[in-house]
Amino acid sequence: MKLYLGLTENSPPHLTRVFAEMDRRLVDLNLAYAAYLAQVQGEKTNPYQLAAFYFPESIATFLQRGEPALQAFAEVVSFIRESGTRDLHGPAGEKVTYDPTEIRLLPPFQKPEKSFVIGFSDQARVEAMPKAEIPTGFYKLPQTFVTTGAPIVLPKFSQEVDADACLAIVIGKAGRRVQTAQAWDQVAGVTLLIDVTARDINRREGLTTNNLLGKNFPSSTSLGPAMLLKPARKELDAIEVELSIDGNVKQKFTLRDCVFTIEQIIERWSILGIKPGDFLAIGASMALQGDRLQNPVPLRIGSNLRCFSPAIGELSHPVVSSGGLRR
Amino acid sequence: MKLVTFIHQDQERIGALDNTGRIVDLERAYAGHLREAEGIPHADQLAAVVLGCDMCEFLQRGEKSLAAAQKALTYADTKPNHGNDGMILDRQRVRLMAPVPRPGALVSAGKNFSDHVAEMASKKGPAAPVAFLKLPGTVIGPEDDIPHPLEVKNLDYEVELAIVIGKPCVDVSEEEALDYVAGYAAFNDISARDVIRSENKTGIHLMGKSFPGFAPMGPYLVTADEIPDPQSLKLKLSVNGEVRQDSKLGYMIFDIRAMIAYWSQMGLNPGDVLTSGTPRGVAAGRKPDQVPWWLKPGDVVEAEVEKVGYLRNRIVSE
Repeated sequence: MKLYLGLTENSPPHLTRVFAEMDRRLVDLNLAYAAYLAQVQGEKTNPYQLAAFYFPESIATFLQRGEPALQAFAEVVSFIRESGTRDLHGPAGEKVTYDPTEIRLLPPFQKPEKSFVIGFSDQARVEAMPKAEIPTGFYKLPQTFVTTGAPIVLPKFSQEVDADACLAIVIGKAGRRVQTAQAWDQVAGVTLLIDVTARDINRREGLTTNNLLGKNFPSSTSLGPAMLLKPARKELDAIEVELSIDGNVKQKFTLRDCVFTIEQIIERWSILGIKPGDFLAIGASMALQGDRLQNPVPLRIGSNLRCFSPAIGELSHPVVSSGGLRR
Repeated sequence: MKLVTFIHQDQERIGALDNTGRIVDLERAYAGHLREAEGIPHADQLAAVVLGCDMCEFLQRGEKSLAAAQKALTYADTKPNHGNDGMILDRQRVRLMAPVPRPGALVSAGKNFSDHVAEMASKKGPAAPVAFLKLPGTVIGPEDDIPHPLEVKNLDYEVELAIVIGKPCVDVSEEEALDYVAGYAAFNDISARDVIRSENKTGIHLMGKSFPGFAPMGPYLVTADEIPDPQSLKLKLSVNGEVRQDSKLGYMIFDIRAMIAYWSQMGLNPGDVLTSGTPRGVAAGRKPDQVPWWLKPGDVVEAEVEKVGYLRNRIVSE
């Protein structure tokens, strides 16, 4: 099951909603649960309040509610299945299900405390790279996040912008110093991430400082479109991710191509403490194209950048100049 | 003006110091002003809207919230015999948080003081500004404890100046850079040198700079009008009373204007914080190091920026 964060046509920007995809429709979980409470549980006085508790305005807060919210989720899903998405309405007749085109999608996570990309994940295939003993990573500022459909704006200061596809492992449970044996319990799901990099700046910044300007300009992180709720461990390893530019596949990988397991990565980064809605993104960008650092494929104005996974969905972006869409 | 964020009765509030050093709760005082001087109904609600609910929101409101804060201070000045309404508080009665407890981005300069570059045995300073991101969640208040992480053996300090951005700031020139500064605070860039060393083999400074509590900041956000020449300020840091760092911002390789101009390329917002980088005297630079200077539980670290303020944090066991 996939969860989305978005806005309906007329809702003000702060009234974000969590949607589940069912029968190719997006179902507003908050109102669907209110309908369930009113119709099935006989809660006529104020179903909205309890619904707002379990299905608040963000996926991160939903995850924070923990086990009771996941139970409420299971209840509302079977309620929606029984009612059918077509005939579903809120307690006061409100619209609950939408065609995906009616929803303005947002990055599924808006302000995580920890939004890390793990570097050097695929060096097993590239001998020239320095050997990683620990899964080091860098931080992507939430203010750089966009999601599918948004333009990727090439920054003025770079002549060489490229992109890497990643799978972002989403944390569902708070913890600190989690051991590998317990790490899988912390996982809530997975989403896609495109790490856009100004490679020339990144080279200049070097490896001994944070990848700062080269990795953190507006629209340098695409996230989404959905969070796939936690699959079986083996299924996660089999999820395919590919990155293409104008239809040419540049990267293709599964987690099996990565050097570190997600358990090792969670063990390492949970040293700092992790919370629901944080994520750790891993990629194997060289699994197809060889050493891209030597043979860069810069993004060009007018290109389409696409990251696709059959299990999760697609992030698709026009690439534009910093002067705007038309130039 | 010296702006603060503080905790009173379990609530996070924004305030400013009056001329006797007491803390004026800006929302309460501005509401009083609106009610009494301007006869406005719903003064409490209007004050909350004008000032914003935290320092980032306050800064986003720009001149309007600053003007309101000034009126609040003037009003509080006419009420010297404060009661128990929480409008004027003695500093001892509140816990100060960092003035910007949750910056949007915390951009910390590295290798940015000529005297520090020399002690770290780097041949020369960098050709372009170097910085890393500290996690905004690491920010703590001017008197909070710093937990010594279990994993860390080489815990170090770095006194710095924090520069708080006050306006959306994209591609600005060095000449106009200071117009985008809301104000300044003292900052201590706590660093785990051993973790950084292990990260540097393949990665970047991230974990080694971002354990919980690694960014004491404060005690005030001193508004830019009070610091006309920030580049002339002195910095000082001592551990258990022993002076370790004693330098000046004049040694910055990329000065404050240059830093703002450079990092504005990534787009800065009100409430984002840049830090200056640190001068010589860090534990990692001590040579020969007969008695290591690494911080240990029980140590008290005092970091001071002239005219800006003073931090006093104790290192505690986790």
